[in-house]
Amino acid sequence: MDKQFVFSKKMMMVILLFIIVGVLLTITGLFVSHVEANRLWANILLNGFLIVGLSLGAAFFVAVHIIAESGWQTSIQRIPEAMGSKIWLGAIMIIPILFGAHHLYHWSHTEHLDHVLQLKQPYLNLSFFAARMLIYLGGWTFLFYKIRQVSLMSDQNPDIALFNRLRLFSGIFIVFFAITSSTSAWDWLMSIDAHWFSTLYGWYTFIGMFVNAIAVIIIFLVILQKLGYMSHVNDEHLHDLGKYLFGFSIFWAYLWISQYLLIWYSNIPEETAYYVDRVQGFETLFYVNVVVCFVAPFFALMSRGTKRKANWLFYTAIVVFIGHWVDLYLAIMPGAVGDELSAIGLFEIGLSLIYVTVFAFFVFKALAKANLVPQNHPFFKESFDYENIK
Amino acid sequence: MYVSPIREPLVTGAKSYKQVTDDITKPMEGKPGKLWYAGLATALLALAFGGYAIFVTVWDGIGSWGLNRTIGWGWGITNFVWWVGIGHAGTFISAILLLFRQKWRTSINRSAEAMTIFAVMCAGLFPLLHMGRLPLGFFVFPYPNTRDLWVNFNSPLLWDVFAISTYFTVSLLFWYMGLIPDIGSIRDRLKDGIKKKIYAALSFGWTGSARHWARHESMSLILAGLAAPLVLSVHSIVSMDFATSVIPGWHTTIFPPYFVAGAVFSGFAMVLTLMIITRKALHLENYITVGHVESMNKVIIATGSIVGIAYLTELFMAWYSGVVYERYAFVNRAFGPYWWAYWIMMTCNVITPQLFWFKKIRRSLVATFIISIFVNIGMWFERFVIIVTSLHRDFLPSSWSMYSPTWVEVGVYIGTFGLFFTMFFLFIRFFPVVAIAEVKSVLKSSGEKFIKKGAQHEK
Amino acid sequence: MKNNKFITGMFFDDKDLIEAIEKIQEKGVFIFDVRTPFPVHGLDDILKYKRSRLPRLGFVAGVLGAICAFLFQAWVFTEAWPINFGGKPLLSVPSFIPVTFEMAVLFAAISLVFGFLIKSGIGPGAETIIFDERTTDDAFLVVIKEDENIEVKRAEEVLREVGAEDIKLVIPMLKKS
Repeated sequence: MDKQFVFSKKMMMVILLFIIVGVLLTITGLFVSHVEANRLWANILLNGFLIVGLSLGAAFFVAVHIIAESGWQTSIQRIPEAMGSKIWLGAIMIIPILFGAHHLYHWSHTEHLDHVLQLKQPYLNLSFFAARMLIYLGGWTFLFYKIRQVSLMSDQNPDIALFNRLRLFSGIFIVFFAITSSTSAWDWLMSIDAHWFSTLYGWYTFIGMFVNAIAVIIIFLVILQKLGYMSHVNDEHLHDLGKYLFGFSIFWAYLWISQYLLIWYSNIPEETAYYVDRVQGFETLFYVNVVVCFVAPFFALMSRGTKRKANWLFYTAIVVFIGHWVDLYLAIMPGAVGDELSAIGLFEIGLSLIYVTVFAFFVFKALAKANLVPQNHPFFKESFDYENIK
Repeated sequence: MYVSPIREPLVTGAKSYKQVTDDITKPMEGKPGKLWYAGLATALLALAFGGYAIFVTVWDGIGSWGLNRTIGWGWGITNFVWWVGIGHAGTFISAILLLFRQKWRTSINRSAEAMTIFAVMCAGLFPLLHMGRLPLGFFVFPYPNTRDLWVNFNSPLLWDVFAISTYFTVSLLFWYMGLIPDIGSIRDRLKDGIKKKIYAALSFGWTGSARHWARHESMSLILAGLAAPLVLSVHSIVSMDFATSVIPGWHTTIFPPYFVAGAVFSGFAMVLTLMIITRKALHLENYITVGHVESMNKVIIATGSIVGIAYLTELFMAWYSGVVYERYAFVNRAFGPYWWAYWIMMTCNVITPQLFWFKKIRRSLVATFIISIFVNIGMWFERFVIIVTSLHRDFLPSSWSMYSPTWVEVGVYIGTFGLFFTMFFLFIRFFPVVAIAEVKSVLKSSGEKFIKKGAQHEK
Repeated sequence: MKNNKFITGMFFDDKDLIEAIEKIQEKGVFIFDVRTPFPVHGLDDILKYKRSRLPRLGFVAGVLGAICAFLFQAWVFTEAWPINFGGKPLLSVPSFIPVTFEMAVLFAAISLVFGFLIKSGIGPGAETIIFDERTTDDAFLVVIKEDENIEVKRAEEVLREVGAEDIKLVIPMLKKS
């Protein structure tokens, strides 16, 4: 059970290969189709946010389980921990959008703003935007660094006081995250359609990143198992992860329909403009998004048996991951690029491949740094003595 | 099932299986105390007063309420939403906490679910009375009337009919199915007689066969899986009564999840208010421990903070939207003629529950009791603020108006308290307040006696 | 049913019960029933009960409820009495979702509860055999039924060997059989 993960040369080569393929695809994409500056920047935002979301969702996963005093997840805790400790990587990936803000956010063109955008200027202006961005990314990175640090420390030291410190930092992280997860979603994504507003937007974005993080945790777990690690993870753990993916996919659909239904029903032009862009310009993707993020995991993971099969979970998780990529695409492209200039081509696929494999590289590196199971965790033993009701 | 020794025991006092049955069924045996009679009498009095107010409403018409042309919804709908909200704790505890394997739910789920059922009954009364003439209630059912016209399935008010009646039915089934093994326990304790016959019938012939238990567990899990999204849907649909409109302060997309959080928040507050008294009165301190109260307080602080964030989000978005009406609605809430309601809501819902961050307060029964009442008040005012202050100054300043309730509306509200407490007093007299079988099933992993044994074994 | 003979043995701890059941099974004796005051963890595996098919029933009923509710609403608004509301299409799918969902849950829940009651043979007025009234309190009861494979004497002996207390012979008298 105490197996240490070794990030082998072979694996590194495989990841490098993926990165090379990504680079080649991206370059080919640039030559094959005409990629506008807006499209370029929008993709940088999309991938940056994707990586931030993955690490942040995983960080939330760890923190919320610590303060809820959960026992079962200690068997896999090191995977979300490794992902969460990469918020700095996401930060490096998303900060560049500050230089492309004029391509993404039309409120940043202060010389010609209409009345409504002028009213929003105290909030939507570049210097405040940049300051907020640094606060979010800095805060998340720092707070999760503390959680990770204490968790690693307790591998050597069985003192229960460390566990209480873990709870303290998790509590602070969650309070900070509760506010900043919404505000960051407004800043980075919602303000692309600068006139549009929806109070639910922050929570909707949050649940999307959380589901996506769960999917990627499952993907990492199954890859590690295929490599011969994490053999202590049993069917019950898979079942629980499957339930999470299933349940939160439904929750995502609930928030999706809440937002859509209320705007569709009230039919106020200022609000429906957002959906009109999407339903008319991106009709296929608009429906594909719901099918892939909700219908697919709903039917795939409904029965008990499928939740307990690693392969089945793995492929469902990949489908969900793609679904949430599409969700982000739909959040960004209609406003930042428009339906005529945006497309999912080799460029998009290649660039995302680069980002995701770089992220995977660093996560594997983090996994290799510590034992794959937390030592001395007070609830660790509980994780191996429970069973899901049939 | 192994449980870490650092966890607090869920059942204190080194109980055996037999003692669990004895302790929990004790309040049902013998003659009820004076306190019980006094309580029931008060509740019945309130119910009678409410009955009179309902009579006046029906006899004189809805004009006996303080509503007017601008403010068509007042106390009636406020109370409806408030009661439905309270009705969310029970099913949340038994469904969602079951899915999350929270064992502490076993001590409180039964009574919380009973409260759910009673609260939904109280809630259902208001829309019915709001129709003015009770027979109109017939037309909410999908039945083509004499002109072949069906109900309007596009109306959120009709969604409500479906949501509340489904919720009531499913909660009742879930509660009763959980109850039959415990009724079986009572049946088997009674000597032959009419009482035994009644309980035998109520127990559906429960035998405790292993086959039945396996099926029972399977059914409970699926029912929980169904009830979990159902809990979310009910208050979401209630919120859509408001949010599908175009009224500033009502039309906002955060309403569904925010209403659900608020409902669980107020529901837990009500459960705490009543359980702190009940555990004392029925001597159940070993089953509903301070640890249980602390866990519930944690749920209160989580949901209370979600509600707080939703308030701030609404406030910010009203400004951010740049819409004059939206902005005015919120300025009017905070500084208009109903400013006091807004600030009561803010204080009770956002500030007081934050005190639970302190472990001492979280584990103090007196403090919990006081704060839970604050939350109950705060959540009532939240609905009042949403309904009345959003309506009373609409788009057309010439029709701006004010609203205050008449004694009839207050009377109906008091009457629902009477109904709720009458049911609750009867419940604690005739049914076990704590789920006997479920407590027994966690006794070995979480009873004080066994946790200590486990800890020694480890050394 | 009238002439059936049951031999019961009692235990007062779930751990003892499981050990005893395993021993009885090793002897090749079929256990007719086990009565417990609460669901004992792992008992259904040892007794080799098949997984309940209730989840499947719930799923089918839920799907049926959803389909019925949706088609009904669609029929009402496109065929029976079309109403224009807010200029939206007659078949406005989003506004049918809440009722569709509620009916799916209602159908599934009711079918589950009735499925459970019917399958278990319990319900209002159901007549069942209660071997010992202590089984809803703190006693765990193993029930062996007399048949061509096992005699009453042998069954009693087996129960005594595995440490059961209060071994009894029960011949239930039912009004209807």
